[in-house]
Amino acid sequence: MKSGVVFDIREFALHDGPGIRTSVFLKGCPLRCSWCHNPEGWIRDPQIIHGQAGDRLIGKDYTSEELAALLNEQADILRANEGGVTFSGGEPLEQAEFVTEVCDRLDNLHIVFDTSGDGTETALRLVAGKVDLFYYDLKLIDSTAHKHFTGGDNALILSNLRVLSSLGASFVIRVPLVPGVTDTDENLKAIAETVRNLPGLVRVDLLPYNRAAGGKYSNLGLKFRPLYDEQRELRVNAEPFEKHRVPVRIAAPDMAIRKPVPA
Amino acid sequence: MRQTSGAPSAAAEACLVTFDTNRLDRMKSRVRDGEHKRFRTDTVPEVLSECDREGLSWPRRAARLIGRICEAEGQHPVIESDDRIVFLRTIRTVPPIYEPQTWSQLTKDRTLHELGPISNICADWGMVLSQGLEGRRQAAAKARESIQDDPDSLEFLDCAIETIDAVLALANSYAQEARRLGRNDLADTLAHVPAQRPRCFYEALQALRILHAVVWMGGHYHVGLGRFDQYMWPYLQQDLDSGRLTLAAAEELLAEFFISLNKDSDLYPGVQQGDNGQSLMLGGSSREGADAVNELTWMAIRVAHYTNMIDPKINLRITPHADLSLLTLATELTRKGLGFPQYSNDAVVIPALVEHGYELEDARDYAVAACWEFLIPGKGMEVVNIGAVSMPAAVDAGIRKGLGQGENFEQICQRIAEDIRQQLQQVVDAYRKLFLPPAPYYSVLMDGCLERARDLAHGLKYNNFGVHGAGSANAVDALAAVRRFVFEDKSVQPQELLAALEANFEGYEPLRRKLAEDGPKVGNNDAAADALMTKLFEWFADACEAIQDNGRGGRVRPGTGSAMYYVWLARGKEGMREPTVGATAEGRKKGEFLSANLAPSNNAPIRGPISVLQSFAKIPYRRVFNGGPITMELSGSVFSDAEAVGKVAMLVRTFAQLGCQQLQLNTVNLETLLDAKKHPEKHKNLIVRVWGWSGYFCELGPEYQDHVIARHLYAM
Repeated sequence: MKSGVVFDIREFALHDGPGIRTSVFLKGCPLRCSWCHNPEGWIRDPQIIHGQAGDRLIGKDYTSEELAALLNEQADILRANEGGVTFSGGEPLEQAEFVTEVCDRLDNLHIVFDTSGDGTETALRLVAGKVDLFYYDLKLIDSTAHKHFTGGDNALILSNLRVLSSLGASFVIRVPLVPGVTDTDENLKAIAETVRNLPGLVRVDLLPYNRAAGGKYSNLGLKFRPLYDEQRELRVNAEPFEKHRVPVRIAAPDMAIRKPVPA
Repeated sequence: MRQTSGAPSAAAEACLVTFDTNRLDRMKSRVRDGEHKRFRTDTVPEVLSECDREGLSWPRRAARLIGRICEAEGQHPVIESDDRIVFLRTIRTVPPIYEPQTWSQLTKDRTLHELGPISNICADWGMVLSQGLEGRRQAAAKARESIQDDPDSLEFLDCAIETIDAVLALANSYAQEARRLGRNDLADTLAHVPAQRPRCFYEALQALRILHAVVWMGGHYHVGLGRFDQYMWPYLQQDLDSGRLTLAAAEELLAEFFISLNKDSDLYPGVQQGDNGQSLMLGGSSREGADAVNELTWMAIRVAHYTNMIDPKINLRITPHADLSLLTLATELTRKGLGFPQYSNDAVVIPALVEHGYELEDARDYAVAACWEFLIPGKGMEVVNIGAVSMPAAVDAGIRKGLGQGENFEQICQRIAEDIRQQLQQVVDAYRKLFLPPAPYYSVLMDGCLERARDLAHGLKYNNFGVHGAGSANAVDALAAVRRFVFEDKSVQPQELLAALEANFEGYEPLRRKLAEDGPKVGNNDAAADALMTKLFEWFADACEAIQDNGRGGRVRPGTGSAMYYVWLARGKEGMREPTVGATAEGRKKGEFLSANLAPSNNAPIRGPISVLQSFAKIPYRRVFNGGPITMELSGSVFSDAEAVGKVAMLVRTFAQLGCQQLQLNTVNLETLLDAKKHPEKHKNLIVRVWGWSGYFCELGPEYQDHVIARHLYAM
C-alpha cells in the first residue's frame, strides 16, 4: 500500500471546489513560485515550523487506507452537500500513485485535483481517470518569465494541459494575479489564447494577489523575497477572456487591493 | 479559513428590505447616539414610604410599584415627531418597595435568583394581545366572582387588576399627548391598544412595545419575546390579505419596532451591557405539528439584517429538512457579525421535552430564555440557569485525587461522577430555598394565572430548574489525555503529571505541549475523546435525574451552556458557589479561559467545522436538553461571495441533519478585534457574540474582550 505526506487537512474549504468539501494538502512541490503562500508545501519530508507558541512538526505520513478512512467518515455529509474532496499541495502530482489509491478507496466522492501541471505525463494520466474536476494553474505563458518567477519550465505544464484536454477531462484554469508579473494584459491575453479552444475548459478563475503571502516564511527559517513589487497596484482585468467568450470569474479579492481597472 | 483584512463586500451591504429607509436610518443613528436619553430623569417616584405607611403586603407593594411608575411615565410621554411606535422609559431606576433591612429580613435564609425579581422567562404575548388588557381584566373579575374565603387569591386578583388599570392609564396618557400633538392616528391606536385586541399589525406592535416595556419597569429582566412570527402573523396576514399594508410598509413598521427594543438597553440590568435577554424565536412548527414558517419569519430576518442592532436577538428553529433558501437568508444575517441567528433543531429539542414531561403541543411551542434554554411561553416558570457544574473541576479533582492514591482509570471515573453529583446537589440544595417575589403584572401575561387566581411566583405548568455542565471540552480533553498517556501508552508517570499540575506546568513545558497537542480532542470526531464526552454528560444526566423534586414540583434539566462560567470557573468570582479550577491535564495553565458552551478547547488542534459537528452530535441530547449551543467562530472572509454564503447555509442544515441540538455562529475578523481593543473610538458599532447574547465590543470588560479575541485566534 502506498503512503503519502500530508501537511494539512482542512474541512469546509470554501474556495477549493463545489459544495462542502475537505481539502488535503500534499507535501512536496517542484516549483518555487515567488508569491507562494504555502512554503511548508515545498519539501516532501516532514519539517519543524517555529511558531510563536513553540515548535510544531509539519507533515504527517498517511497510508492510503488511513487517509481514505478519515475522509470517508464524512462521505455522507460531503455528498449530501454537493461537495467532496480536493487534493492540493504542494504539488499533488508528485504523489500521484498515493492519490490514486486514496481515490479508489473513497466512498463515491466528487474529487477535485488542484495542480500546477508540473509533473510527469504518466502521473497526470494516472490521476485523470479518478478525478471529476481539475483546478489547473496557468501563471505565465512566456517561458523565460515563468522560469524566472517560478523556478520551473512551463513547456511540460502546457503540454500536460493539452494531454488533459485530449483525455476529455473537465478543468478550471486558475490564474494567480501577481502585480506586474501575471496581471499584465500581454500575459492574460496569451493565457486566453492558450485555453480558449480547449474542449474541457469549464471557466477561468482569476485569483487576486494575497498580501499575506509572506506570512509563513520566517516560521520555517525562510526569507520571503518576492521578485516583484508587492505594493504595486494590481490589475484585475477579465477583458482578455471575455473577448474570447471564455467564462471568467474573479475570486473574492483582498479588499486592500481591490481597485477598478482603468478602461 | 483564511483571515483577510477588509470590509464586507458590496454584496454584504445590499439592503434586503424594500422600504425607503430614510426615516429609520435617522432613527437608528439617534438611538445609537443615545439622543433619546435626554428625556431621562433621575427623579424616581417615591413608592416605599406610602407602602410602609399603609402597611401594604408584598403583592400590594409590587402592584403599587407598577401603578406609581406607570403614572410617573404617563406624566412625561415622549412622542418624537417621526415616531410611529411610541413609548420611552424616562425613569432610570426601579424604586425600592422595601427598606434594605426589611428586605434582608424578609429574604433571610431564602435563596434569591440572581437579583431577586422573576427573570429570564417568556410571557404568552399572543394570548395577551388577542384578549387585550380589558380581556385580561375580565378574566380576573370572573375569577374573583367564584372565590370565597381565600384572601390571598382575592388580593392577588386585586393586585393584577391594579396593574392592568395602571398600564391602561399609561396608554391613555400617551393617547392624550398624541391628540394634543395632532397625531390623531396614533391617538386612536393608543385608545384601542393595549386595551383591546389589535385591529392591525401596527396596533399589535404598538401594544407589544408597551406591554413588554412595563415588565422591565417592574424590575423584571431578561424579558423574552417568544415566538414572534407566530403570535404576530394573524395581524400581519390580515393586513397583507386585505391590501391594508404592502410588504414594504410592514417591513418599515417592523424595523421601527426592532429599533424601539434598543432604546432602553442602558437601563437593563445584566452582567455586561447587551446581556438583556430580548430573545425572539422564529420558525419551527405549529402546536399541531405543521411547518410554521411564514412571511413574517422571512421578514423578521430581513429587517434584523437592516436594523443591524443587538436587539432583538434572533433565534431560528429548524429541522433536518430546512429550506436552504431560508437558511441562506439567515446566513446573510450571520454575515453581519451580530452573532445571530442562533439555531435550534426541532428534531432533537421537541422529543427531548416530550420525554421529560412536556405535552407534545407545548413542546412544539418552545422558545428560548435569554440565551438558549428551551421554555414554553406563558407556561414555564422555569429557573433555567440556577448554576453550573464545573466539568473541568470535577475531572481535575478526580485526576488529582485518583492518581495521588494510585487508582485505576475506572476508579477515577467513579470519583468524577460522584463529584458531578455533589456539585449538582450543592446548587440544587441552595435553590430549594428559592424565593420568588410576587409579580402581579407579569402574572397577567401568563397562561392561567388570573384564571387560577395564583401569582406566577407560585409556579406555572412547568417548574423545572436548569443547570449547565460548563467547560465540557476542557474536561473531556483532560480526561482523555490521562487515559491515553498515563493508562494506555504509559508515556507519562502519574507523579510527573501531578507535579506538573501543581507547578502550573512551570518547568514542564514539553509535557504540557504533549498534553495540549497530542492527546485526543473533542471536536475532531475522535472516538476516544467523544466517548468520554458522552460519559461525562451521562453522569451529569444521571445526577439530575436522581433529583425527584426540585422543591417547586419540577425536576432538574441538564444543559450544555457556559454563559459567563467560561471565565468565572477559570478565574473565580466573588460569591460564586461553583469551584474554581487551576492548571488542568489537557495542558491548560491556571487562569486560561475554558471553552465556551460546546466548542473545542481553545488551543486544541481541530480539522474543521464538520468534525466539530460530528463530535457534538454524540451528546445524549434526549437526556441533556436544557440547551447550550455548539459555538463556532467564522472569519468574516468566509462570506466572500454568494456561493460561500450558500455553503454556510448547508453547514447549518448539516448541523440539524447530524442530530445536534443548538448552534451559534459568530462572524468577525481577528484584525478588527485587535484594532478595536487598541482604538475603541474607531469601533463604536462593532458587535460581537459574547455568550448567549451579543454586545458592543467596546462596552465589554477587558477580560471578556480578551476571551472573544482568544476564541478568534482559533477561528475557522
